[in-house]
Amino acid sequence: MITKTAEHTVIGTRPPRADAFEKVVGKAVFGPDVNLPRMAYGRILRSPHAHARIVRIDPTRAEALDGVYAVATAADLPEAADRTERVGEGNVNYKYMRDNTFAGDKVLYHGHPIAAVAARTLQIAEQALELIDVEYELLDPVLDVRQAMAADAPLLHEGMHTRSLAGTADTPSNVASQFQFLQGDPEQGFAQADVVVERAFETAMVHQGYIEPHAATAAWDADGTLTVYTTTQGAFDIRSQVHELLGYPLSKIIVVPTEVGGAFGGKNVGYVEVPAAVLARKSGRPVRVVMTREEVFLASGPSSGTWMRVKMGATREGRITAAEVELCYEAGAYPGSPVGAGANCILAGYDIPNARLDGYDVVVNKPRVGAYRAPGATQSTFAGEAVIDELAEKLGLDPVEFRLRNIATNGMPRLNGGFHEHIAAREVMEAVRDHPHYNAPLERGTGILRRGRGVGLAYWGNWGARSSVTLEVNADGTVSMLMGSVDITGTRTSIAMQAAETLGLSLAHINPAMGNTQTSGYSDASGGSRTTMATGVAAVKAAEEVIAKMHERAAAIWVCEPEQVAYTNIGPDAGTFTCSRNDETMTFAEVAAKLGGTGGALRGQGDVNVRRWGGAFGANIADVEVDIETGSVRLLRFTAVQNVGKAIRPGQVEGQLRGGATQGIGWGLYEGYAYDGQGHMLNANFLDYKLPTALDVPAIETEILEIPWPEHPFGVRGVGETPIVGPPAAIANAVYDAIGVRQGFLPMTPARILESMGII
Amino acid sequence: MAIKPFAHGNAVTVAEAVEALSASCRPLAGGTDLLAMMKADLTAPESLVNLKTIPELHEIGVVPDAETTKGLRIGAMVTLSQLAAHPAVQGRQELGRGSLTRSSMAVLHQAILRTASPQLRHMATLGGNLLQEPRCWYYRNELIPCWRKGGRLCYAYRGENKRHVILGGGPCYAVHPSDPAVALLAMDASLRIVGPAGERTMSLAEFYHPPDRETRTVTHLAIDELITEIRVPAPQAGTRGVYVKVAERAAWDFALAAVAIQAVMEGDTIRSCRVALGGVATIPWRASQVEEVLMGQASSPAPLSTAVIDRAVEAVVEDIRPLEHNGYKADLLQGVLREALDQLR
Ligand SMILES: Cc1cc2nc3c(=O)[nH]c(=O)nc-3n(C[C@H](O)[C@H](O)[C@H](O)COP(=O)(O)OP(=O)(O)OC[C@H]3O[C@@H](n4cnc5c(N)ncnc54)[C@H](O)[C@@H]3O)c2cc1C
Repeated sequence: MITKTAEHTVIGTRPPRADAFEKVVGKAVFGPDVNLPRMAYGRILRSPHAHARIVRIDPTRAEALDGVYAVATAADLPEAADRTERVGEGNVNYKYMRDNTFAGDKVLYHGHPIAAVAARTLQIAEQALELIDVEYELLDPVLDVRQAMAADAPLLHEGMHTRSLAGTADTPSNVASQFQFLQGDPEQGFAQADVVVERAFETAMVHQGYIEPHAATAAWDADGTLTVYTTTQGAFDIRSQVHELLGYPLSKIIVVPTEVGGAFGGKNVGYVEVPAAVLARKSGRPVRVVMTREEVFLASGPSSGTWMRVKMGATREGRITAAEVELCYEAGAYPGSPVGAGANCILAGYDIPNARLDGYDVVVNKPRVGAYRAPGATQSTFAGEAVIDELAEKLGLDPVEFRLRNIATNGMPRLNGGFHEHIAAREVMEAVRDHPHYNAPLERGTGILRRGRGVGLAYWGNWGARSSVTLEVNADGTVSMLMGSVDITGTRTSIAMQAAETLGLSLAHINPAMGNTQTSGYSDASGGSRTTMATGVAAVKAAEEVIAKMHERAAAIWVCEPEQVAYTNIGPDAGTFTCSRNDETMTFAEVAAKLGGTGGALRGQGDVNVRRWGGAFGANIADVEVDIETGSVRLLRFTAVQNVGKAIRPGQVEGQLRGGATQGIGWGLYEGYAYDGQGHMLNANFLDYKLPTALDVPAIETEILEIPWPEHPFGVRGVGETPIVGPPAAIANAVYDAIGVRQGFLPMTPARILESMGII
Repeated sequence: MAIKPFAHGNAVTVAEAVEALSASCRPLAGGTDLLAMMKADLTAPESLVNLKTIPELHEIGVVPDAETTKGLRIGAMVTLSQLAAHPAVQGRQELGRGSLTRSSMAVLHQAILRTASPQLRHMATLGGNLLQEPRCWYYRNELIPCWRKGGRLCYAYRGENKRHVILGGGPCYAVHPSDPAVALLAMDASLRIVGPAGERTMSLAEFYHPPDRETRTVTHLAIDELITEIRVPAPQAGTRGVYVKVAERAAWDFALAAVAIQAVMEGDTIRSCRVALGGVATIPWRASQVEEVLMGQASSPAPLSTAVIDRAVEAVVEDIRPLEHNGYKADLLQGVLREALDQLR
C-alpha cells in the first residue's frame, strides 16, 4: 500500500495541540469536573493504622445520619478471581484488588480503604465516616524492605509463600516472589577483574505527583447500564477492573475517559471507580468520588522504595568482566513491584559477559505500588550507573569512554534472556561524548561551592499492544478520527498527524477525538511509551483502509475498475485520485462529496495488536554545584539525549524529555515518602513531599536522535519513559564529581549530603 | 477533607472585630494558613471575622510623630507582596534623616522574597505570617494528638525529627515557620495590639516566648486581641541588613535554617548589630552570643576577618541540643551564618 518514504509534510512539524485551547481557557473537563443531575458525593473511610486486623465494622450509625444515601463495604463486593492480569505497565491480581478497594479482614497500610459513604453533601459524607465504627486489633507494621524480608518479620499475608522458578516455598513470607537472571560465570568473571566495586543503595518511595487527583463518577441507567466517567490512562482497563470486581457483564459497563491532569503510570489501576459504582447502585443516584491530595499520597500507586546492591568488576583495559546485582523492591501492601522491569533495564546498556541478578518482590505496610514512568528502571539505573561511574574512575578512564568500551550492541545476548535489535546505545553515548555540554569547561571551585559533572545512561524497553483507530470520511472531505487510546500526552495530535500524513491531507482536515469503551475498539492503556507507536500503527492502517475504500468509490464514480484508480499522498498533488482509463482526476474532497451516492458511510478501521517494538536508550548530562557547608545541591546545566526513532511532533518529544527529566530531578534531589515508626505517612501533601519548583530546575537542553524502529511505518519507538530513568544517576555522579563522596540514597537532600560527608 | 461549615462576617472597624473575637470566633486575614488548618480539621472555629474589610489595617506608611526616629508602620493586613513592593522596603524612600541606604531594609525585603511563593505572598498578610501555626508534620497530622495540640507527648522528640528544633526545644520541638518574623526580630520591630481593654505596644522580642508547661502557644496575644500594626524603627545611619535562608528547594519551602543580621556600621566598624535565627527554634531566635562576637569588629568594605567569622560560627552553635536526626542542622546553620556574614560587607 501507500507508505510514505519521501519527505513528510505533517510528521516532524510543530502544529498546536488539538487539546491546547480548551485546556488553556479552562473549559476542558477533567475527572473532578464531571457533574450529573441528582449527583451524590462519595467519601472513603481509610485506615489510620498501617497494619491491623479488622474485628468489626458497624455502619449503622452512619446509615442513620440524615442526608446519607448509602454506605458500602467489602460486603457489597462479590468474591473476586485469584487471577493476575496485565494492566497498563503493571499487573493486578483481582483478589488483591478487591481487598485494596475495600479492606477484607485486615488493613495493610495507613490510608487503606475500609468503607465508603454517599451523601447529599461532602460535609455530611465526612461526618458519616466518623460514625462508622471500626474495631481494630493492632499488628506490628513492616516498613522497610529488608526488615520485611527477615525470617521473623511480621507477615502481611499469612498465606503468602515466596514463588520462584523453583516452586513455592513452604514457609510464609513477605517476599511474594523472587527470580534470578544468570549469564556466563560471574565468579570467573570477577576473578578476571583488576578492579571490583561493590555498593549498596537505598531509594525512598516516590509518587508520580500528578496534579489532578483520582476522580470517578458512576451512574446506573434504568436498564442496568453502568456508566463510569473517570480520569484514567486506559478506559478498557478500568472497564475490566469494574467488571471483575462487580461481577457484571462487560457489555453493560461503559467507561468514559475524561481529560487527564497527569498520570505518569499512576492512572492504570482504578481506586475510586468501584466504590462510586457500588454507592451509585445502592443510592439510586449518580455518585462522584474525588480523592483529596492526602488520599492520593496515602492510597494510590506510588513507585517502590528499594534496597539494592551492585557489584561489578573490570579489567585494566576497561572491559567489564562481571556483575552481581541484588534488587529488593517494595511492592506495598500487595505483590507486584516493578522489580522485573528494574532488572531488565539495569545492565541493558552494557555488554557484560558474566552476570547474576537476584530480584525480590516484597510486601510492606505501604500503599500497593503502581506504575510510574519506566516503572522500576529509575531506581536500578541509579545504582548501576553509580557503580559504572566508580569503575571508570578507578580505572582512570573518562566515564563516557568507559561506557563506550562496554556498550551494548545488536544481537548481544542479554541478561534477561533476550537480545537487542536495532538499538542505538552507542549512538546515544557518542552523542553525549560529542555534545557541547559534555565538552564545555567546568569551573570546579575550591571554596564552599564545589562543582561537578556526571552522566547517566538510561534504557526503557517500550511497548506495543492493542490499539484501535477509526477514521470516518465526511462529505466535505474532512475526516473524523476516533481513537480508543486515552490522550495523556497530546496523543490526539500525534495520531492525527500520522493519519494525515498517510492520507496525504493536511492536519486541519482531521478532527481527532477520544472514544469511550462503547464507541471505540479495544485499546490498551496509554502507557509504557506505546501510544504514539502502536496507536500510530492503527491510524496508518485505518488510513490505508480509507484510501482503499475511496479507490472503490472513485472507481464507481468513473465507472472503472478500482485497480485503474491511483491515489497520491505525497508531493504537490497529494490528495488526488487519478483514473488511468480516462486520465481524469478528482480530489479527496470530490470523492468524499459523492459518498452518499456510492455506497454510504466510509470508515477505515485500524485494529492492531503490535507484538514487536523497539527499546529506547537515552542519556543525561548534569552539572551541579554543591554547597559543602549547607549540603544544598543546585543544578547548573542539564541535558537530555534520547533516541526516539522518529519525532512525530518534535515539540511534544522535547516536552517529554524535559518533563521526564524534571521528575527525575525531583526523585534525585527532593522527593520521598516519610513514615513514622508506626507506619503513618508524615508528608502526604505537596509542602512536605517536595516536587521541584521552577526555580530548582534549569532550562533542560534536549537532543533528539532519530534512529528508526524499522517495523513502525514512520520509525517511531516511543518517548515518554526513558527520560526519567537517567537523571538521578547523572546527578549522583555529578555530586560525587563535585565533593568526592558517593551517594547511596535518594533523595539527596541537604541532610543526606552533609551526613554522607561525615561532617556530623 | 471538606471544611466544616462556619459563619463568616466582615468587620469594618478594629473595635468591631475585637468585640467579636472568642475561642470559637477567629480573625481571618489572608486565610492561607487558617483555612488550611480548618480543612485539615486541626481547628474548627464556628465563625470567622474577616479583617480584610477594615481599611486602617491595610495602611502602610512612615511614622509621623517623632521626627528623628521615623520608622515604618505596617498595617497587619498589608500583604507580603505589597510590603515587598513598597519604596521604603525596597530602599527607595527616605525614612530617617539621611540614613537611608539601599540595604537598610534589605533584611526584610530579602526575607519576604524568600517566603512561600509569589501567589501566596499576594494572599498572605504580615500579621497572619507572624501568627502562623507550626509546620511540624506531627502537629499538622490530625490523627496525631501531639503536645502542642493538647496531647501528652511530642512525637517528634523521638520520631522523625530531621526538620525540627536544635535550639531550646521542649516540650514542643516544632520550629517557628516564619521568615519575616526573623527579619523583624533583627530589626527590633514592635507590635501594636488592640484588645477589649485597649491598646498596647510590645516588642517582637517580648511577643514570642517558647512554649512551656503552662502555655502551648508561642505568643503573648490573648484570644480576644488583634495585631493591628507592625512598627519598624527607622534605620540608623550606616545600617546594613542581610537575610540568608536554606531550604530543601529554592522556593515554596520553609527554612531548614535562616539567619537575619541587621548591623549598624560606623566607618568600617560594626557599632551594633542584631542577629536572629529562623528554622532552628520554636520561636524566632535571637543569637546574642553571635552579636557579642561581631560588635566592634571591622567589616565594610573589607570582609570580616576569618578569625572573627570562625568565632561567630562557633558561637552560633554554643547552645544547640540536636535531636536524633537533625544533627546536620548545626552544620547547616553555621554554613548559613558564614554566608550571611560574607554578604554583610
Ligand atoms: C505552601 C506554603 C508555603 C509557605 N512558605 C512559607 C515560607 O517559606 N516562609 C514563611 O514565612 N511562611 C510561609 N508560608 C506561610 C504563609 O506565609 C502564611 O500562611 C501566611 O503568611 C499567613 O498569613 P495570612 O494572612 O494568610 O493569615 P491567615 O491564615 O488568615 O491567619 C493566620 C493566623 O493568624 C491569625 N491572624 C491573622 N491576622 C491576625 C491579626 N491581625 N491579629 C490577630 N490574629 C490574626 C488568624 O486567626 C490565624 O490564626 C507558607 C504557606 C504555604 C501554604
